[in-house]
Amino acid sequence: MRTALAIARKELAVAFTTPWAYAVFTAMAALSSFFFVSLLEQFQQVQSLAREHGWSKLPPDSIIYRNLTDGVVVQLWGVVMILTLFVAPFLSMRLFAEEKRQKTFALLLTTPVRPVDIVLGKYLGGLGLIFITLGLTLVFPVLLSLVGSGPSGSALEWPTVLLGYSGVLLWGATCMAVGLFISALTESQMLAAFLTFAVLLPWMLLRGVAQSTAEPLRSFLSYLAFDAQLQGMLQGVLEVQALVFFASVILFSLLLTHRAVEAQRYA
Amino acid sequence: MPITEKPIIEVRNLTRRYRDRVAIEDLSFTVGEGELLGFLGPNGAGKSTTMKILTGFLPPSEGSAKVAGFDVSTHPMEVKRRIGYLPETPPLYPEMTVHGYLAFVAALKQVPGRAVKAEVARVAGLTGVDDVMGRVLQNLSKGYQQRVGIAQALIGSPPVLILDEPTEGLDPAQRAELRALIRSLAGKHTVLLSTHILPEVTVTCEKVLILHQGRVVAHDAIDQLAKSHGQAEHASLEEVFIKLTAA
Repeated sequence: MRTALAIARKELAVAFTTPWAYAVFTAMAALSSFFFVSLLEQFQQVQSLAREHGWSKLPPDSIIYRNLTDGVVVQLWGVVMILTLFVAPFLSMRLFAEEKRQKTFALLLTTPVRPVDIVLGKYLGGLGLIFITLGLTLVFPVLLSLVGSGPSGSALEWPTVLLGYSGVLLWGATCMAVGLFISALTESQMLAAFLTFAVLLPWMLLRGVAQSTAEPLRSFLSYLAFDAQLQGMLQGVLEVQALVFFASVILFSLLLTHRAVEAQRYA
Repeated sequence: MPITEKPIIEVRNLTRRYRDRVAIEDLSFTVGEGELLGFLGPNGAGKSTTMKILTGFLPPSEGSAKVAGFDVSTHPMEVKRRIGYLPETPPLYPEMTVHGYLAFVAALKQVPGRAVKAEVARVAGLTGVDDVMGRVLQNLSKGYQQRVGIAQALIGSPPVLILDEPTEGLDPAQRAELRALIRSLAGKHTVLLSTHILPEVTVTCEKVLILHQGRVVAHDAIDQLAKSHGQAEHASLEEVFIKLTAA
């Protein structure tokens, strides 16, 4: 376990000495604040329309704009989830691919470190990176509750916000696990990033495909879709099914990574 | 020739194939404890492959290799605990500082937390990298990078050192220093040293093993080599080497 932690620490230390991690953090902060502002504007528009005409005159789906939590933060988490899909491959790509290209993988494989510690260390390092990236977006609900607290208390329902946020974190952890496995298969970071993206995106879009199929296949596909599994959590509903689903995807990816590291010796 | 010392490395009928290309074939030899063995051979003779198998980086196709009595295939962890390995390309993380890197390797080798600092200082002193501890590895000269690579292998003072072309990229003065360092390690450590710079072997090693096309063509003490391979007694290592590997 100590070696796993040493590997994770090294992973973070190296990431913070390269401009790469900062570029990813900046992209995440810039894009999510852009969406945050436009979500706020939309919220304000609907609110002023409602003040003029009354909520009953507005289309039924604008009901979510009745409060900040559903109208802004839950929407924002949906956006952050999509951004994570784009950002995570760039964080996970170097985990193993870089070690192989630099020939430093020989060091990990010839020192008395068990493959399971290598995998765990790499994954913990990756988790650290994605959690820092996602941590940046926590500033938006904090801003809202600082500015928006009125006499009736906070403008946000924090339990809903935080549950949605843990859904986002769970999703980030899943992306990193898939990315870790793909990174263990290749020497090229570009290829690792591209393949990770090529696996995650269709998996995310599976729900759309499911809509056009007939019944038994349809529920099967929507069960597998990341998007469908996450919806409940993002809206603040804790579903054991989703937890089990993502935990299995992570565990399975880590097992495959372990196999890939062991197979390195037999390449 | 009788083996006087207890063998610490035992290689039996070792074969390694890469698909249909044979890198080493039916290799058998032993290395006694505290020996300093020069591992010679032309490029592509299988030196690096043998070293990779001994360090547990590559599995053998056939045969077995034992280090300190532990089989590489069945007890890889026990073997790795006893080996310090410098691969052909020193495994350095370009973004790390020398100190950060050596401390990381110490953690990988499970040097107890409190002893890390002293151990890093010890190997840095031995290899003469103590004046660049704060510098980033990618900015160091090739010579310093190579020395950091050796320092890394020395961490935890493993009984067996496997050095794949350690003098590569060093200038003559650094080479001389490194030779002195390696000679000083003999006795405490068993050293397997691969190189194709022959004069270097004559001054560092007592014994040599010459590989050619994946087979052992000679394994003897340097002063015995010429005699046992039917050459004039004063024949240099180079002459013997060229004769044995001409095929």
